[in-house]
Amino acid sequence: MKFTDILNAVAAWPVSDYIRGALLAFPLLESAHVVFLTLVFGTILIVDLRLLGVASINRTFGALESDIIKWTWFAFSGAVLTGVLMFITNPIVYFENVPFRIKMVLLLCAGLNMLIFEQFTRRKYNDFEGTATAPRPARIAAVLSLVLWTGVIGAGRVIGFTTSHVAVALPPAAENLDFDDFLTSDAPAPAQ
Amino acid sequence: MKNFSEWISTTFLSLFIQNNQAWMIPAIQSVHIVGISVVIGSILMVALRVLRLGWMDQSLAAVQSRFFPWLKGAIIALAVTGALLLVAEPARELMSFSFWAKMALIVIGLGIATAFVSTVGRNEAVWDDNRLKQGSIKLATVLTLCVWVGVIFMGRLIAYDHVWGSLSPSNHSEPNK
Repeated sequence: MKFTDILNAVAAWPVSDYIRGALLAFPLLESAHVVFLTLVFGTILIVDLRLLGVASINRTFGALESDIIKWTWFAFSGAVLTGVLMFITNPIVYFENVPFRIKMVLLLCAGLNMLIFEQFTRRKYNDFEGTATAPRPARIAAVLSLVLWTGVIGAGRVIGFTTSHVAVALPPAAENLDFDDFLTSDAPAPAQ
Repeated sequence: MKNFSEWISTTFLSLFIQNNQAWMIPAIQSVHIVGISVVIGSILMVALRVLRLGWMDQSLAAVQSRFFPWLKGAIIALAVTGALLLVAEPARELMSFSFWAKMALIVIGLGIATAFVSTVGRNEAVWDDNRLKQGSIKLATVLTLCVWVGVIFMGRLIAYDHVWGSLSPSNHSEPNK
């Protein structure tokens, strides 16, 4: 079984079919995806700015992190769920889309950066107790995190401009195209 | 509004963005999303302190003064990038129900934020943790979060204004990029 066969099978799932066909499903999923991803980036930004000594320096890193990270994970779970639900409507188009692939690679790099930070840097420096600015390896992790997540947002936005979210044949570009017919049909308008 | 949109779309700035739209529109939108992240992150943190779910080692006034300068800066960046997007594609924004619903929610959200800042500033002592246990304050906080989530939903739905049916002023005669 080839990988494209799997993607085709995913596209044929009833839930994929439902999201493709429903007027509101994809727009609402995409809106929720934006809510979740802005919460992910917004909360990560607060932690990274603390590491860089820019903001929240009157709190210890440990106290700040334990207040915030659960919300980051909650939002990230929501972003993954809504992202997967959008992906399965048109898996082959997304899988072959270059900005989508770039986004996935950047996500992987952001995850690796976080893993190294959590497993080595934090432990080595005992959560940077008593310092306004974290040591250099932690600051590098913070800058990498900001760059990678900004890249994720940028690549993600480009996906919408380089794919059509629904695999439907648009009405032919005829000279006497009747837009009222187009409107009353169930064909969703292309959107970005 | 249609004539106004057409006039904007003939201005130099609009034409400049239109001529480079392949990269400029996604780039401006991405900066806009980064700005939204700062707003929603800041609002969530202040809300968590009001709801006593975080930042409990800091006073409410301290949390507010940590986040409101960032919120203000982000709102300015959002106004600039939003204005650029409007100038680039005026009909997409001005002829959509979602855009005006978004603007209304922003006015409400900023009104709440302004009232909140002046109240906390004037009565710092009154906002003690006993006061924050009141149900009405919790409800108002959750509703405020909902307003900003609504702003994000309406913003994204500008691209899908056809979902509003007859409420959408656009006649859908063109694909709604």
